[in-house]
Amino acid sequence: MNAYRIQIKFYLERGQDIAPETWFRVFNTWIPVTTDEVLVDVADYSHVHDGPVTLLVGHEANYSIDRSDGRTGLLYDRKQASNGSFPDRLKAAFVSALKACRRLETDPILAGSASFRLDDVLFVLNDRLLAPNSVETLVAVRPDLEQVLAKLYNGAGFDIEHDSDPGRRFALRIRSGCRASVALSLRRFDAIS
Amino acid sequence: MSESTTWKEVLADRIPDELGREVDIFATQIELRKQDKIDDTVFAETRLRRGVYGQRYDNGKRFDGSNTQVLEFPSGDLVKGPDTVWDAPGMQRIKIPFGGLTADQLDVLAELAEEYSDCILHVTTRQDVQLHYVHIDDTPDLMYRLASVGITTREACGNTVRNVTACPLSGVCRTETFDVTPYARACSKFLLGHNDAQDFGRKFKIAFSGCEHEACGLANMHDIGAIAVTRSVNGAEKRGFRFYVGGGLGAVPHQAKLFEDFLPEEELLPVSQAISRVFARLGEKRNRARARLKFLIARLGLEEFKRLVTEERKVMPDDPEWTAYLSDLHAYDEKPLKIAQPLNGAVVAGGFEEWTRTNVYRQRQDGYAVVTVTLPLGDLTSDQTRALAELSRRFVNDTIRATVEQNIVLRWVSEADLPELYNALVEIGLNEPGAGTIADVTACPGTDTCKLGIASSRGLAAELRWRLAEKGVEMDAAVEGLRIKISGCFNSCGQHHVADLGFYGISRKVSGYTVPHFQVVLGGQWTGNAASFGLAMGAVPSKRIPDVVARISESYIEGREEEESFQDYIRRIGKVQVKRMLDDLTEVPPYEIDSSFYMDWGDSRVFTTGDMGKGECAGEVVPLVQFELSSCEREAFEAQVQLDNGHYESAYKQAYSAMVHAAKALVKSQFLDVPEDPDTIVSEFRTRIVDTGLLHDNPVTRGKFANYLFHAHRRNVDAYSEDLAHRFIEETQLFIEAAYACYGRMNVVSS
Repeated sequence: MNAYRIQIKFYLERGQDIAPETWFRVFNTWIPVTTDEVLVDVADYSHVHDGPVTLLVGHEANYSIDRSDGRTGLLYDRKQASNGSFPDRLKAAFVSALKACRRLETDPILAGSASFRLDDVLFVLNDRLLAPNSVETLVAVRPDLEQVLAKLYNGAGFDIEHDSDPGRRFALRIRSGCRASVALSLRRFDAIS
Repeated sequence: MSESTTWKEVLADRIPDELGREVDIFATQIELRKQDKIDDTVFAETRLRRGVYGQRYDNGKRFDGSNTQVLEFPSGDLVKGPDTVWDAPGMQRIKIPFGGLTADQLDVLAELAEEYSDCILHVTTRQDVQLHYVHIDDTPDLMYRLASVGITTREACGNTVRNVTACPLSGVCRTETFDVTPYARACSKFLLGHNDAQDFGRKFKIAFSGCEHEACGLANMHDIGAIAVTRSVNGAEKRGFRFYVGGGLGAVPHQAKLFEDFLPEEELLPVSQAISRVFARLGEKRNRARARLKFLIARLGLEEFKRLVTEERKVMPDDPEWTAYLSDLHAYDEKPLKIAQPLNGAVVAGGFEEWTRTNVYRQRQDGYAVVTVTLPLGDLTSDQTRALAELSRRFVNDTIRATVEQNIVLRWVSEADLPELYNALVEIGLNEPGAGTIADVTACPGTDTCKLGIASSRGLAAELRWRLAEKGVEMDAAVEGLRIKISGCFNSCGQHHVADLGFYGISRKVSGYTVPHFQVVLGGQWTGNAASFGLAMGAVPSKRIPDVVARISESYIEGREEEESFQDYIRRIGKVQVKRMLDDLTEVPPYEIDSSFYMDWGDSRVFTTGDMGKGECAGEVVPLVQFELSSCEREAFEAQVQLDNGHYESAYKQAYSAMVHAAKALVKSQFLDVPEDPDTIVSEFRTRIVDTGLLHDNPVTRGKFANYLFHAHRRNVDAYSEDLAHRFIEETQLFIEAAYACYGRMNVVSS
C-alpha cells in the first residue's frame, strides 16, 4: 500500500457548542508556535452546511473542526508523504491526530471545555487512485491498521465497518468499547511521557 | 490494487487527446521549473494560463497578529514565480464556459476538492469554480481528471481570454431574444488557445446576454459584451448581436461602448478575432494598470479602434470555424428529463412557499422551472456537490449552470417535482431561500485567500447574510430586491460598482493602528446588463458596515417617492446628504475602548495590510516570442526524455519540431500569419531572419546554427540511431539558444 493521504477523525466528547470563532482563534495561535510542521492559514467555513467548520491549513497536513458527517470532531488530514512504510505512516497519522486532540484539550483559550472520545473513529484514505474504495483495499489495509488500533485500544476489542459506496473514498468506521483518554493513548504510542 | 498506475493511465480512454496533451505539456513545464530550466517569470505566466494561481502568504510570510513570521516550506528556494514559494498552497481556477455543468463533472469536481483541496468548491462571479489550498505538484493529476469529463483549465488566468460567461437562463428565459448558449460555447472554443489571443498585455473577458434589460449577462462591464438582437432582412428574421467593447470594472470602471448596433451572427467570431489582434498589437504591455482593452479604446477613440478592427478583419485569412457552428446551432440543445407537469396543489413542506417565491423561476416552456440553489458565499462542500449531482440525475438532464451571483441553477425541473426537490435540498442544507435578494450577498475571496485583498469581503458578506437572512420574510419589498456586492480591494472582483449597495476594502490609519474600512459605493445598476456604476460615498470602518446597510435601507424605505428606484433615490438625495447620514458611522473608537474595530470580520488577529502581496490577476507580461521559445525548450526536453527511453525516432522528430517552432517564433515577430507547414516556415525564416543577418552577430558562427535547421529540413533519415538523435538534440539546443540571442538583439533594435 503506497497511499499516504490519510485522514483520521476523533469526535468531540465535550465542546460541541464551542463557537467557530473560538476554534478560529485557537488555530491562529498554533501557527506562530508550531515548529515541527508548516502551518499556513486558518479558514472559516462555518457558513456551509456540514463541512469543515474551521480549517487550519498546513503544508504537511490540515487540521479541521469538521462536521462533514454531521458530527463534530477533529479531522487530521495528512497531505504529504511521511517517512517510512505504510504501517509507519499509519502510526504517525494516528499519533499526529491524537496530539492535535490533546493540544485542544489543554489549550488555554478553550480552558478545558473540549475533550475527545476515542471509541469511535473515522478513518479515510483520501486517494481514489492508490486506495480505491474496494474490498481489495480493505484487505490490504486491515492488518496494518489492526496493529495500530490494538495499541490505541490497549488490546481491547474493536469493530471495523467499511463504507463501500463506490462514489466515496475508502472510509472505515472504527468502534471500540475502550474509553481511554487521549493522554493515555498517546503514552501507549510513546508519544508523550 | 492500482499502485503503479497514474491518473493519466487510468483515464486514458476518457481524456480527449488535445486536453491530455495540454496537461502533458504543463507537467513537463513543472519538471523543467524544478530543474531551473525555465525562467520563473515565464513559468508564472505558464501556470497562470493553466489556472494555477497564487494565494495569500505564497511569498512565505504571514502576519501572526504581532509579528510577521516566515513560513519555512520544505522547497526552500524553489519558486513558481517571482517571490512565490513553490510549496505555498495555491488556488486552482477551473473555467466553466457559460457556467454549464453536467452531473458527471460535478462528481469529479467534488472528488478533486476532497483529494487536493479542502472539500470546498467556490463558485466565482464569472461562473468559474475555484479550489483553494492546492499544491502545485497535484495540479497535473487534477487536470487529467478534469479533462476526463471534458473540462480544461487552460487560460483560466493570465493574460488570456478568460471564461466566456452567459446568462444562466439562456434558452429558458421568458424575455430573451434568442438562446445565446451556442454562441458563447463557440466563442469560448474558438478563442481558446487561439494564436491571436496569446500576446495580450492583460486579461480579456467576454460575456453574452439574451436580452438588453436584465442583468444576467452583464455585457456592459466586459471587454466584449454581446447582446442578442434580431433584425428583419428581406422579410426573414436575422440573428445578430448588439456588440459592445471596452467595458470593465477594476479600479477605474468603464462602461462598454457600442461597437456595432447589429453584428450579424456570422461576424461574431471573426470580429472577436480581429479585436484580439488589435489588442495584442496595440494594447499596453508595460503599464499593467492601463493594459486592459478599455484603456486602448480610450486612447485611440472608438472610431479609430473600429477602423483598425475593420481593417484587420479584411486582411485576416478565412477560417471555416467562423461559421461552422452556425449550421448546427441546436446540436447541444437541452432536453428535459421529465415531462412538464404543473404543481397541482401538492402538500408541501414548511419553507417551500418562501423558497419558491425567491428561488424558482418559471421557464418560457410551460410546466418547467429553473431552481436556484443558493450557495452561501458561493461555497458548497464536496458532499453537497455530489448530492447535487445525484439530484440533477433524478430531476433534470445535465442542465446545471453556475451563475455570476455565485449560485447554481438546475434548469428544466418539472414543476410537479418542485416539492420533492425542495425536500431533497433540505436534506443537504441547500434549501436557503433569498436567491437574488439583498440577503444573497456576493463577495470576492478578499483577504481570505487573495494576495491583493485589503479587507475581509467574505467576512463582511457572511455577517450581512446572517443579519439579513434573520429579517427574511419581514423585509420590506422595496429593499428586498436590492443587491449587495463586496470586493476586498478596489479591483472589483466582487463587482461592487454595479450593486445597489457596493463596498470595497480599504484601510485607514487611526492612532498608529491600521483599521479595516470599506468604501461605500451606492446606486450602481445591476439590471440592464450592469447599466450604470455607483458613486463612492466615503470610507466607513469595516465593523460599522452592517449599520450602513441598515441605515441606508431604512432611509430608502421611508424617503422614496412612490415607485422611485434606489438609483434614482440616491441620485435625488445626493452625495452630501448620504455622507451626512453616514457621518457618525465613520468614527473609530480608541483601541483601548473597543479593540474589535482593529480586527477584521472573521479574523482574530490585529489587522494589518502587511500580508498583501503582488497580485497575479495581471499575470506576467511575457512576449509571445519568448513564450514560444520557452515552449521549444520544453519540446527539446521531451525529445531528451524520448532519447533516454530509447525511442530514437520520436526523439529526433520531437527535436525537429522544437527547431521548426523556434524558427517560427522568430518569423512570427515579423509575420503574424505564418502558416504551420515547415516548408513555409523554413523559407520565411531564411528570408526574414537569416538573409537579413538577424540570426548571427558573430562572424565565426555565422550560418552555423541556421544550417542545423536547413540540413534537418532537407534530410531524409533512413534509420534513426541513438547517435543521430543525440547529436540532433544537441544541435536543437544550440539552435534554440541562437534564437533566444537573436530575439534579444531584435528587442534591443526595436526598443
